[in-house]
Amino acid sequence: MKEFDVLVVGGGASGLRAAIAAKGAGAKVALMSKVHPLRTNTGVAQGGLNAPLGNQDSPESFAEDTLLAGDGLCEPELVRGLTREASEEVIWLEHVGVPFNRDPEGRLDRRRFGANSHNRTCYADDRTGHIVLQVLHEQFQRAQIASFEEWYLTSLAVDGGTCLGAIGLGLRGGKLEAFGARAVVLATGGFTRLYLPSTASLGTTGDGLSLAFNAGAKLMDMEMIQFHPTVISKHPGLLITEAVLGEGAEIVDAKGERIHGTNGIPREKICRSIQQALQDGAESVCLDLRPIGKEKLISRFPQTHELVRAVAGMDISKEAVPIHPAAHRPMGGIETSAQGETSIAGLFAVGECASNGVNGAGRLAGNTLTEAMVFGRKVGEAAAGHAASAPKRSFPIARLSDEEKRLAALTSKEPANDSSGKIHTELGKLMSEKVGLIRDQGGLKLALEQIQELKARYQRLRVTNPSRIYNYQLTSHLEIGSLLCVAEVVALAAQARRESRGAHRRADFPARDDQNWRCHTLVSLVNSAPQLKQKPVGIPG
Amino acid sequence: MQVTFKVYRKDPEGDGKPGRSTFTVELPDDANVMDGLLKIRDEMDGSLAFRASCLRGYCGECTMRINGKATFACTAKVSAFTKKGPEITLDPLRNIPVIKDLVFDWDAFLWNKIKAVKPWLEPNEAPASGENLLPDSVMKDLRQVMSCYYCGLCDEGCTVLPVDFNFLGPAALTKAYRVAFDPRDRDGKERLRIAEQPKGVWDCVHCFEASEHCPRGIQPTERILALRDKAFKVGISHEKVARHHKSFAASVKDSGWVDEGRLALESEGLTNIKGLMKLLPTAARALVRGKAPLPYLHAKRPGADQIKRIFEKGEQEEK
Amino acid sequence: MKYAFYPGCVSRGGCPELYPSAVKVAGKLGLELEELKDVGCTGAGVLPQYLSDPINARTFAKAEQVGLPVMTICSTCQGVMAQANYRLKSDPAYREEINREYLSEEGLEYKGTTEVKHLLWVLFEDYGLDRLKSMIQRPLKGLKVSPFYGCFLRRPPEAITPTKELSRRKSYLDELIEVLGAELVDISGKGKCCGFPILTANEENSLAMVAKHTGESKGKGADCMVTPCPLCHLNLDGNQPRAESLKGEKIDLPILHLPQFVGLALGFEPDEMHLKRHIIPTRAVETKVEMLT
Repeated sequence: MKEFDVLVVGGGASGLRAAIAAKGAGAKVALMSKVHPLRTNTGVAQGGLNAPLGNQDSPESFAEDTLLAGDGLCEPELVRGLTREASEEVIWLEHVGVPFNRDPEGRLDRRRFGANSHNRTCYADDRTGHIVLQVLHEQFQRAQIASFEEWYLTSLAVDGGTCLGAIGLGLRGGKLEAFGARAVVLATGGFTRLYLPSTASLGTTGDGLSLAFNAGAKLMDMEMIQFHPTVISKHPGLLITEAVLGEGAEIVDAKGERIHGTNGIPREKICRSIQQALQDGAESVCLDLRPIGKEKLISRFPQTHELVRAVAGMDISKEAVPIHPAAHRPMGGIETSAQGETSIAGLFAVGECASNGVNGAGRLAGNTLTEAMVFGRKVGEAAAGHAASAPKRSFPIARLSDEEKRLAALTSKEPANDSSGKIHTELGKLMSEKVGLIRDQGGLKLALEQIQELKARYQRLRVTNPSRIYNYQLTSHLEIGSLLCVAEVVALAAQARRESRGAHRRADFPARDDQNWRCHTLVSLVNSAPQLKQKPVGIPG
Repeated sequence: MQVTFKVYRKDPEGDGKPGRSTFTVELPDDANVMDGLLKIRDEMDGSLAFRASCLRGYCGECTMRINGKATFACTAKVSAFTKKGPEITLDPLRNIPVIKDLVFDWDAFLWNKIKAVKPWLEPNEAPASGENLLPDSVMKDLRQVMSCYYCGLCDEGCTVLPVDFNFLGPAALTKAYRVAFDPRDRDGKERLRIAEQPKGVWDCVHCFEASEHCPRGIQPTERILALRDKAFKVGISHEKVARHHKSFAASVKDSGWVDEGRLALESEGLTNIKGLMKLLPTAARALVRGKAPLPYLHAKRPGADQIKRIFEKGEQEEK
Repeated sequence: MKYAFYPGCVSRGGCPELYPSAVKVAGKLGLELEELKDVGCTGAGVLPQYLSDPINARTFAKAEQVGLPVMTICSTCQGVMAQANYRLKSDPAYREEINREYLSEEGLEYKGTTEVKHLLWVLFEDYGLDRLKSMIQRPLKGLKVSPFYGCFLRRPPEAITPTKELSRRKSYLDELIEVLGAELVDISGKGKCCGFPILTANEENSLAMVAKHTGESKGKGADCMVTPCPLCHLNLDGNQPRAESLKGEKIDLPILHLPQFVGLALGFEPDEMHLKRHIIPTRAVETKVEMLT
C-alpha cells in the first residue's frame, strides 16, 4: 500500500496546480492520472485566461462580467475571491515561464474575448491551454512530486463519511493498489463526452463525479452545461476559439450574410442564434475568419490554421468553415465549499469536476484556466492543511480485495452482442437531442426513461478482455458507467429546474424565475436513489 | 466502406513475440484510422491496446506508423490510405521498446529523457510587482518551441537513436533549449551544462532528420545547434569536444582552412599520450597512403587575414 | 558551363585523392572551373553560425563578383553553404547586417544572388543526363554499388529541397548509379548519418554507424559504396578497420568518391582516379572495372 498526505487525482491544470500548492504547503503529495499530464484535456484549451491587469480594468469589473455571465446563479463571495486573486496567479505563471504574448511595451498582452467588458484575456497564441499545461508540468516536475501516470482511479475509500484514500489500477503493471491519503483531491475533469459529437478528449467521462456521487457527495447545478458556438461540423469536429470573433471573424449563413448578435455576447446566446438560424432553414452556418486578414490570422491563430487543415482539410485563410454549437463544458460538478471541501470529510474537488458556485449558470469566456489556477492553489493548500490536522486512520485494506473481486466479476469470456461503445453512441445522441441546448419536459422524461434502459443494458454488459495490462476495454467500460451516472443526474436536474437561466433553456419555461429558482440544484444519493434539493444562492456551502 | 487493418500485436502476458492481427471493419467514408481502432476494440477485440486522448490532433498521444509512415491515427483519413491499397498496416514507432500491441514505452523513449534535462524554470528574482517586461519576439520563439506536443516523430526519425537508444534525442534536447533560452531562468550556463551531459547535445550528428520529421516546424535540429553555438561562446564543458572545436576554430582563424593533422592531435590533447597512441594505427595507415596531412605544416591560404578579421570581429560582437 | 570552384578543406587534406579526380572529371566533361582561392572554410557545422555565416557570405560575395555559381564537391560544404545562403537570402535585414558588420570593411557586399551546387546536382540540373550519357565510355556493367549521400546533401528541406521538383535531389545518386551502367544496391541507410560528426564526442556511436551502413551494403552484395562527401569517406573508408574491430567482423567494402565513380565511367583508369590512396583496398573494384574495358 502507498501512503501519502494528499492524493491528487487528475493531471490537468487544476490537478497540477493543486499538487504543487499542496507540496509547497509541506504535504507529502502524489498525483494519479489516467493519461500522462501532457495528454490531458487542458491541452485543447485555446483562448486564454482572464486577469484584470489593465489600467482601466479592475477586479470589480471582472466580477461584474462574471456575475452577468452566470445569470444570477453565481456565489458572489467566490466570484470576488476569483477576481481578486486572478492577477496574482497569472503573474505567477509568467514568472515561472509561460511565454504569454506581449504588447509593444513588453507587458502581458490581453485580448478581447467573449463577454468580457475589457480586454483582460492573457494568451499564448491560440494554444494557451497547451502551453500553460506544459509550464505547470515543468513546475510539477521541479517540485519532485510522486507521479502515477496511466493509473486509473477505480474507487474511493470512504468509511463513515470520511475519505481515507483511493484504489487505482496501474495500466502498465496491471496491478490494483491502495493509496492511503488523509486528503484526496479530485481534479478529474468534466464530462463532456456525455454529448456526441464531442470535442472533449476521450477520457472526459466524469469519473470523479460518479465516484464522489456514489460515495455520498452532492452534485450541484448539473443541468448547467455550456455549449460552444464555433465547433467545426466536419468529423471528428474541432473547436475554434471564440477569440476569433473578438478579432474580426464573423458567423455567417450559407449565403454569407452575418448572423445577428454574435459579437461580444455570452456563448449560449450565440449558440441559440446559430441554432435558430439552422432551424429557420439555413442549410449551414459558417465561421468566416477571412476578415481577420491572412497574415494576422496565421500569426495569431497558428494552431487553429494547422489543425483545421489536418482535421477538416480546409484552409481558414481561404474559405469559411461550417460550424454548429456543441457541448463544451459543464458549470456543474461535485458540490464544494470555497476551499474545495465536499460533503465527505477528506474529499476535495477542484477544476472542472467541481462546482463551488463561481460559475452559476454560465461561465465567462476565459475564466476556466484562471479558476484552475486560483482554486487549484486554494484547494491544494486546504487539502494540505486538512492532512496536517486530520487524525490518522488506517486504510480499510479489505477494500482492495473487494475491488479485485468487483473488477473480476465484470469480466466474462462470453461474447456479447452489445458493447460500451454502442451504449455510449446511443447515450451521446440521446443527450444531444433531449438534454441539449434547449430542453422540455417531454424530452427530458423520455431521456430519463432511455437512460434507465441504457443503464440496464450496461449492468448486463461484461468485459471480455481479462488482462489488467493496458486494458482499455475495462477502463472504457468503467467510463461508460460514469457517464450513465452523470447522465441521469443531468437529466434530473434539467427536469427539476422549471425556468430558463444561463445555459439551461426550457422551451416550456422560457423565462427566468428568480422567485422560485434563484438557487442551485443539488442531487445526492439517498437510499440508493437520486434525490434533488435546492440551495439558495448566497448561502455558504 | 469496408476497411482491413493489419495491426501489430505483442502480448507481454503471452509469449511476448510480435505478431499481427487482421480486422475488417465497416467505417463511414470520412473515418479516421482512430475511428477504426476504436471500433475494433469495442466490437471485435477488446484486448487491442492503443493509446488515444484528444482525438483531433492536439495532444500527440496516438502516434503510430500507418503503412510505414509515422503519423497520428486521429487525423489520418482512412480514405487517403485506401486509395493506394485495400489494407492498412498499423505498427508502433520504430526504435522504441513496445509494451503491448501499439502501446510503446513513452517513459523510456521520451518522458525520462525530458526529465534528464531538468526542463523547468528556476525563476530569476521576480520584479517588485507585475510581470517581467520582455519583448514578444523572445516569447514568440519560446511559444514556437513549446508548441511541441511530444509526438515523438523527431526521435523516431533520429539517426543516432537506432545506434544508441540512450542518446537523449531531439525532443528532450529541444526542451533543454526551451529552458536555456528563456531569459527568466536563473542560470543559463547551468542549463547548457545539463544539455551537454553525456548522450546530450554533443552526441547529435545534426543530420536534420528531426527537423524534417517535426510536424510543427519547431526545427529541433536547429535548436540543438543553437545550444551548441551558445556553448561554444561561453565554453564547452565536454572536454574533448572543447579541444576539438577550439583547434578547428584556431586553424581556420590562422590559415583560412582546417589543419586536419593538427585537429586530430589537439582533439586528443597534446599531452594525452594514451589518446595519441590510439590514433597511431589510423595515422599509420593514412601516412602510408599519403592521406595524412602533416600537422602544423599547413599552408596559409590567400585571404586568411580577412578570415582572421572576421573571427576577431565575431568574437568581439558576441561578448 | 563555368563555375566558381569551391573544393573545401578535406579534398586536399585527409582525402587528397578527391581534388585531382574532381578536376580531371570536370575537365573531361567540359565544366570550366575557376577556383575560389581566397575564401575560407565553411565551418563544417563545427563553427557557430555567428562566425560561419559571415565567412560564407564572403565566399558568396566573391563568387558574385566573378558572376559565377559556386560548385562544391563535398556534401558538408554544400549543406552548410546552402543553409547559410538560405538564411542570407530569405532575410534581407540579416544579410544587410552581415554585409555591414563583416564584409563592407573589405569592400565586399553579398547581394543574395549566388547559387551553390554540388557536382552531383550540376550533373543533373545543369549538365543534363542525356549529355552525360553521351560521355560514357565505359558503362560500369556488373558493378554493384550502394549510394551514400551524406546528410547535408539531403536536409534540411528549406535549403536543399525547397520545391517539389528539387525533391528529386534525394534520388540523384541512386539514378546516377544506374545511368552509369552499374547495378544499384539500395540500402536503408543511404540518407542517414555516417557518424563522422560525432567521432570526437562519441567514437563508439560513430563507428557503430560506419559498421551499420557498410555492413548493410556488403550484406546485400555490393562491390562498393559511392559517396559525394569526403567527410563521410573519412569515416566509412578511413575508420572502417576500427568499425570492423568494434563489430568483430570483417566488412571490407571499398568506398568511392563521386568524381572517381563518374571518372571510371568516363574512361579514366583507376590509377588516374587515385584509388590506391584509400584505406580499404579497392583492388576488387579495379579488377572488375579493368575487365570492362
